[in-house]
Amino acid sequence: MIRGVNKQQMVVGGIGATLGGFAALVLLFIFRSQLADLLADQFYFSLFLALGLFGIIMTAVAYCILLERKISAWVQDRYGPNRVGPLGLLQPLADGIKLFMKEDIIPRHVDKGLFVLAPFLAFVISMIGYAVIPWGGEFRWPWMPEGETLKCQVASIDIALLYILAVGSMGVYGVVLAGWASNNKYAMYGAMRASAQMLSYEVPLAMMVLVAILTSQSMRLEDAVAFQAGSWWTFAYHPLAALILFIAALAEANRAPFDLAEAEQELIAGFHTEYSAIKWAMFFLGEYTHMITSSAVMVSLFFGGYLLPDFLPGAHWVNESTNILAMFARMGVLFAKIGIFIAVYMMVRWTLPRFRYDQLMSLAWKAFVPMGMLIVLMQVLIIYNDWPQWYSLIGNIVILLAGGLFSAAVAKPITGRQVSLLKRERGMT
Amino acid sequence: MSVPLVYISYIVSALFAFGIFVGLPKQGRFPRRGAFIVVMAVASAMLIYLLQLLFGAESRNITFCILAVLGLAAAIRVVTHPLPVYSALYFVFVVLATAAMLIQVGAEFLGAALVIVYAGAILVTYVFVIMLSQQSPEMKGRISAMLDYDRSAREPVWATLACFMLMAVLAGMIVEHPWKTVAQPLSAVATRNTVELGRLLMTDFAVSVELAAVLLMVALVGAVAIARKRLPQAADFSDHKAPGEAGKTVVPY
Repeated sequence: MIRGVNKQQMVVGGIGATLGGFAALVLLFIFRSQLADLLADQFYFSLFLALGLFGIIMTAVAYCILLERKISAWVQDRYGPNRVGPLGLLQPLADGIKLFMKEDIIPRHVDKGLFVLAPFLAFVISMIGYAVIPWGGEFRWPWMPEGETLKCQVASIDIALLYILAVGSMGVYGVVLAGWASNNKYAMYGAMRASAQMLSYEVPLAMMVLVAILTSQSMRLEDAVAFQAGSWWTFAYHPLAALILFIAALAEANRAPFDLAEAEQELIAGFHTEYSAIKWAMFFLGEYTHMITSSAVMVSLFFGGYLLPDFLPGAHWVNESTNILAMFARMGVLFAKIGIFIAVYMMVRWTLPRFRYDQLMSLAWKAFVPMGMLIVLMQVLIIYNDWPQWYSLIGNIVILLAGGLFSAAVAKPITGRQVSLLKRERGMT
Repeated sequence: MSVPLVYISYIVSALFAFGIFVGLPKQGRFPRRGAFIVVMAVASAMLIYLLQLLFGAESRNITFCILAVLGLAAAIRVVTHPLPVYSALYFVFVVLATAAMLIQVGAEFLGAALVIVYAGAILVTYVFVIMLSQQSPEMKGRISAMLDYDRSAREPVWATLACFMLMAVLAGMIVEHPWKTVAQPLSAVATRNTVELGRLLMTDFAVSVELAAVLLMVALVGAVAIARKRLPQAADFSDHKAPGEAGKTVVPY
């Protein structure tokens, strides 16, 4: 029981909540026909979906944090959180209450406006990307006329992937402003690292998205999913592109092994050094929301979106039917795939050590960008000459091997040693 | 009919120029706030009147007007704010408002590209430069904490004059030009306008695209040439030691 709240208050609160819920149910029952009409309209359905998804994603984020702690504990041979609730399942609730109740400190030397704005920016920008993701394909409510369907998507726009790239490119502002407004050297260094890193990895990310656009020949995410229905998933045609996209998304989210922006050993905590309580939590939520959104985009582009593999029993019904249950099944499939991706993200974080800064940059500019250009060129050739799509698989393997052989041929020993340019110029070494 | 419209547009430009001049930072403050607001209100009213005369009912598109007002207000703050970082952020806001307006009139691709290119890439570099050039002020509102060159605008008269002369000429052109009106909305012409845009770029405007590509290539080569430091390559790792060897040859203190 929570200390400071007596039993009587809890009983009253419980009765109040029950009555409120009952009243809401009665209202829903009275206005059921109007509600049904509203839900059958694409605009209002999108509105409901946006609100519902907000709730789902917030809960998912809270449990992602628990999952992260459990996985880290498993990797490091510990138990992890297991005190709050059965198996520690209520831990996110405890964390949330703690973060809300903590004192929210705004240091005196900061630039107040931007200091407050930055975490909200980071959170909101990572949030709005989910509007264009096809969560469950087309479906119809049982009370809708035959033949009419709704799209289980907040906004079905022509430039969905460009929208995602645009929103992603705005993501730097939260970090940069936090670092600058904190008026603190370490926060500043963290922000500088983060912005340089995110700008660099945006290039291969955009290139791989371009490969997916070229393959499905549409900028709509639902077309990308439809392209994969009844054929191979794009992943099978472009394994290297999917891999590069995954790594670039990892770097975009500032997650280990690319978490140089918050390297504790070097920078205290990087750009969020001065943040506490709920503002710090906003950065944290933003990071996990970004993981969910980028996983959803990757799954939709390369791993079949909400489609089940064809060889599974019932896959045909799940993938094609406009039944409401099939829609929920498709949503479940998409969420399961996203869950797998997030588990991989976390395993990577707790397995690999952090990159050094020059290695990080050369990985983006000397490995991913040239390879990405070659993949784009190859896909353009395939489309232009009407070659069968599976040529791209061979092309991917050839590009990977060529890149590996080239880098092996020009390899230099990797050292942590910094060559002093000044001394070299004067011939002092 | 067209002559008075041109003069109205000149007057609006002159009013806006005066308003901006009044609002430019002096001694680290936002001076003469009242005068600024009055002049801007008069100028905006005249602008709205001019738009009414020009476009009639078309100018009563509420969302477009709200976006335009937000964008213009942010643009004014870009030049009148004393702190460069805030100016850059207001510029981001201008870009976003413009992109939203472009999307509203059906140019989705252009809007998204504007956000990616301006807000995403160029302005981040801009913010970068500003961050390196100065630290945020210790106390807000204290003039002594501000840097010398942030306190007041340089040459406010000539700057506003030059900008708004250009503005007035452009506005006069826009007012006088006999615009063609499209019979049907743009969304009805091309349902997938990204496809149409791509086709146009690769056929009618192929030369421009190639020229832009060459220009970018030249810029890239130039950047590499400037950034490159000439070093004796072979000597780079001559004093490199194998793991385990490093500590052995250190001369004891």
